[in-house]
Amino acid sequence: MVQRFTGTRVKRVEDPRLLTGRSRFVDDISLPGMLYAAFVRSTVPHARIASIDAAAAREMPGIVAVYVGADLPEHANPLMLQPVEGLKTPAFYALAHEKVRFVGEPVAMVVAESRYQAEDACDSIYVEYEPLPPVTDMEAAIRPDSAVLFDELGDNVMYHSEAKYGDLDAAFAGADRVITEKISQHRYANVPMEGHAGLSSFDPSMGELVHYSSHQGPHMLRFGLSFLLRLPLNNVRVLCGDVGGAFGSKGYFHREEIMTAFASMRLGKPVKWAADRNENLLAGGQTREESAVVEAAVKNDGTLLGLRVKLIVDQGAYQCVPYPTIVFPLLARALMPSAYRITNFEFHITMAATNKAPYIAYRGPWEIETFLRERLWDILAVELGLDPVEIRRKNLWENQELPRPLATGAAILKNLTVRECLDQAVAAIDYPGFRQEQERARAQGRYLGLGISCFMEPAPQPIFGIGFDFVRSETATVQLEPDGGVTVFTAQAPHGQGHETTIAQVCADGMGVSMSQVKVIHGDTRVVPFTNIGTGASRGATMPIGAALGALRIIKDRVLRIAGHMLETAPEDLQIVNGVVSPIGGGDRSVSLFEIAIVAYTAPFTLPPGTDTEMKATYTFDYEGAWAQSCHAALVEVDTGTGKVEIKRYVVVEDCGEPIHPAIVDGQICGGIAQGIGAVLYEKSAYDEDGQYLAGTFMDYLLPTSMEVPHIEIHHIIPETDEEIPHHGVGEGGLIGSPACVVNAIEDALRPLGVKIREQYLPPARILELIGSIK
Amino acid sequence: MAEAVALLAEFGDEAKVLAGGQSLVPMLNLRLARPGHLIDIARIPSLRGVQEDGDGLRIGAVTTQRDIERSELVARKYPLLSEAIRHIAHPPIRVRGTVGGSLSHADPAAELPAVAVLLDAELTVVSKRGQRVIPAQDFFVSFLTSALAPDEMLTEIRLPAWPSDATWAFSEVSRRHGDFALAGVAAIVERDNSTVTGARIALFGVGATPLRTPDAEAIAVGKTIGDDLWRDVAASAAAALDPPSDLHGSSAYRKHLAEVLTLRALQSAAAR
Amino acid sequence: MQKEHSIRLTVNSIHRDASVEARRTLADFLRIDLGLTGTHLGCEHGVCGACTVLVNGEPVRSCLMFAVQADGTEITTVEGVAPGDGNMAPIQEGFWRATSFQCGYCAPGFVIVGEALLRENPDPSEEQIREAISGNLCRCTGYQSIVEGIQRGAKIARGEEA
Repeated sequence: MVQRFTGTRVKRVEDPRLLTGRSRFVDDISLPGMLYAAFVRSTVPHARIASIDAAAAREMPGIVAVYVGADLPEHANPLMLQPVEGLKTPAFYALAHEKVRFVGEPVAMVVAESRYQAEDACDSIYVEYEPLPPVTDMEAAIRPDSAVLFDELGDNVMYHSEAKYGDLDAAFAGADRVITEKISQHRYANVPMEGHAGLSSFDPSMGELVHYSSHQGPHMLRFGLSFLLRLPLNNVRVLCGDVGGAFGSKGYFHREEIMTAFASMRLGKPVKWAADRNENLLAGGQTREESAVVEAAVKNDGTLLGLRVKLIVDQGAYQCVPYPTIVFPLLARALMPSAYRITNFEFHITMAATNKAPYIAYRGPWEIETFLRERLWDILAVELGLDPVEIRRKNLWENQELPRPLATGAAILKNLTVRECLDQAVAAIDYPGFRQEQERARAQGRYLGLGISCFMEPAPQPIFGIGFDFVRSETATVQLEPDGGVTVFTAQAPHGQGHETTIAQVCADGMGVSMSQVKVIHGDTRVVPFTNIGTGASRGATMPIGAALGALRIIKDRVLRIAGHMLETAPEDLQIVNGVVSPIGGGDRSVSLFEIAIVAYTAPFTLPPGTDTEMKATYTFDYEGAWAQSCHAALVEVDTGTGKVEIKRYVVVEDCGEPIHPAIVDGQICGGIAQGIGAVLYEKSAYDEDGQYLAGTFMDYLLPTSMEVPHIEIHHIIPETDEEIPHHGVGEGGLIGSPACVVNAIEDALRPLGVKIREQYLPPARILELIGSIK
Repeated sequence: MAEAVALLAEFGDEAKVLAGGQSLVPMLNLRLARPGHLIDIARIPSLRGVQEDGDGLRIGAVTTQRDIERSELVARKYPLLSEAIRHIAHPPIRVRGTVGGSLSHADPAAELPAVAVLLDAELTVVSKRGQRVIPAQDFFVSFLTSALAPDEMLTEIRLPAWPSDATWAFSEVSRRHGDFALAGVAAIVERDNSTVTGARIALFGVGATPLRTPDAEAIAVGKTIGDDLWRDVAASAAAALDPPSDLHGSSAYRKHLAEVLTLRALQSAAAR
Repeated sequence: MQKEHSIRLTVNSIHRDASVEARRTLADFLRIDLGLTGTHLGCEHGVCGACTVLVNGEPVRSCLMFAVQADGTEITTVEGVAPGDGNMAPIQEGFWRATSFQCGYCAPGFVIVGEALLRENPDPSEEQIREAISGNLCRCTGYQSIVEGIQRGAKIARGEEA
């Protein structure tokens, strides 16, 4: 395959519409007769609903309908996860029914002729609550004396398991030291620039629901709408156009979107809802609040003999359907040994329900495994008087010891490049030079620090032993149009990943046409192949490409056979260049894809009997999996007077295979790192001890700006490979490695002051508390 | 102006004055404020503009922050104000935001109220009942509360002459670039060679209003410039503080920050 | 029933007469009443910058302005930045060539702010660019591709890149 486009920085297909204001996000769509929805949301964290008085609201100008939870059971099914072993799965309706369980939970829905009027009416709806004790701390939540969120469950322990691998007793017995630490990370959120949004349009004359959504899994959403609203699947169509970011937050059956569809079915008119920022921060889902007690059995020379982790996860009030939160700690358990020689390993998971917004997927949702492990190396290095780079080198697998399975049996480790990534990162940041600079700076009363983080990311990689295996295959359909153009129907649902461009790059090369002849269609469930996971899990560089190329191969084979007949040449002696088929090695005879396609479509009978003239092909690509591997290194300076942290350099060495589009790949890495910097220094989904949510605007939930994110230096390692699809995922790595890297750097800077950091959120006030300048 | 004043008299509590709207409109959007009427004064020509007034300066209340940022006159005569204005949010906010709007909003973490108390500005306030001039230190009453009665509006700010032989410093620490200050300091040091002849320090973000620090200022006068002096002054300035706690910083943090920033500001002013 | 105010303004060189409620924001007026949905809502409290438009040539948060306040003004939205001959403006072309954006939701605000920057400063340094765009939030990119896009746009505007 001649590569004209793959591997180059072509101009993105998506950009002309995004740059000139012609993009179509859900809130940009207007349908005749469209109505607008707004939600009344709970102002208390935990209560029974005594009454809802909407009488005044219903009389207000422009108000068409008001719905409450009690309206649902007659017409809709409750949300509930499919059974998962050991997981409690309480059912709940799209609107709160009988009880509210977090501040921001939707309690009533107003449908009106304008958004302004809908919100006016929300102010006139009076909900009487009978407050219950709020459950706001995950450790308190699992104690027997805690108030219980779901009465039928008896307690708030939604899941508990203990898994052991290898021989921990021997490991701990043979250790020189056992070091125990409690390490936690805080609650924060995805915060895409576009919040959730849905526009439902039900036509009662056809019984047909068309639903426009800001979503990353249109087929799964279609499933959900069909099941929850009791509509036959063939009468439900989901359309995802431009989606303004998601980072994992938009794969679910979102309660407000179920309600817009519900309302549209009752009213026979289109109903639109787009979350405002307060709704997004309050109820759009939150993530990452976890705490672990880690016990490390080590030798004095830094060898890690065994590791025991007891993790508690704060699930929030509800589970997110259809992807259960429990998958993430299970993935963390599966992946934690990573590229290191960790064979004696124990991992406990306890998941607690609390009165907070639900815990949803956020870019590398198993990140706690990297945070705990990479923080641990630095902590152990200090305890044992070793260098943090050397302790990692000591414990990384050597390639001659591979392939071998992860201790958890989750996958096979092979082709590891983590060691090379570490070596290159260390060289790029001039590690020895930095240590000298650090000493000089300390003498001047300045505090510089360096942090490292090494990790592997399934990209995508089937992970065994956790009961979920939705990454292993993907389907695509390719059609050669009568004019010789190539249309690719992908199961992907891009929201920034540039798939309209990357898939076209590879398919253009695969077919031998120019990119302008390839069109990638996504998001319309009527025409794109089914998948139970749309865009996510770092699969977008590999799975849609493998599937599309497979379908393309089938088409190309048929095309060359037809061309072979037309040119009286063996198909294997033909090539396609610039949309024209001609003999390899030259000759003046040629035929264009257009001419071939026209014959196939309109005059197949002129071809020899038995010629396959079907110009559409579907292919399912099965993939054994791959890893992306990376090392992050950051250099910081901490102002110990103000507590402010400046990131002076950030270096990434990345092995994600061959980038299809280098700028798109690097953009994914930079974006993830910006979110990691945000997580450590700026972002917290803060609740007070009464369960009131505090960070409901962008004045309080702080996203990093161009002044807080440094220039990120990215180096790629591209190993030699004969893989069919040498492009691996990279979407999540930036946010998996960066929190540990930044925290390691800050602790390294403040080590002379005796600072030990066992948390992830480090605003300036906290830094001064850790230093001891303030209480 | 007469129409604006008459409307304010008529609607009083039900009305809010609207100039740039950069502080008011977010509150309306969030439905935290619900005035029945908005009185738009942005286009009253007499309320906009910067003029010399002897050695001092008169600034119309509706003068935008961007106007100040671009004013050569202000840069020349009141460089501290020129510097401070650049710390307000971001350029698109400053295009609409007005000097009078920021002062009337009386956010203790904002830059302009602190500059006003530092420079001993005089604020002219008008209502149907007449006109009065309020000294800056009396204008800021409490958190988001100015001395304006419901029927009054701010029309002009007069800055007295910039002190001669004065160096200055302005700095703030915020969570991110352009955010409200966690704590900030505006300082003027008047000197005769290495002796301090006058000191003014205004702190913001550390109380219910911007704060002058007369005790700390008094410590400096007559003393020799040097780090030891500045440390004493900074300690005194911070000692009296009881800052608020919020999501972005505890009271203890703001207090500590105020001392650190005051020290650094005085050092930088002296080095100018 | 809220009182309506008559306004006359120019939007992307087209004169418009309209009648609006006092509380209709300029952003909603542009998006809903005029169908110019290129301007986006990211927060509606003036922090994210996605709603930025040019009012009399200056960048302004359209979510913090009421339509009535725009009476008599000239507004340029992202739909009106390109010169109208089928080409993109240099700032847009620069963003395109640099692969500056991912989901694109924040892009209109950056186009406007970038355009305003280059009008005032045709050769900005990286530091000046980062400061000028610090009032616009992007969640996808980490900003450095946007900085590069503005640098490319500046070069195109100066004729240094065809």
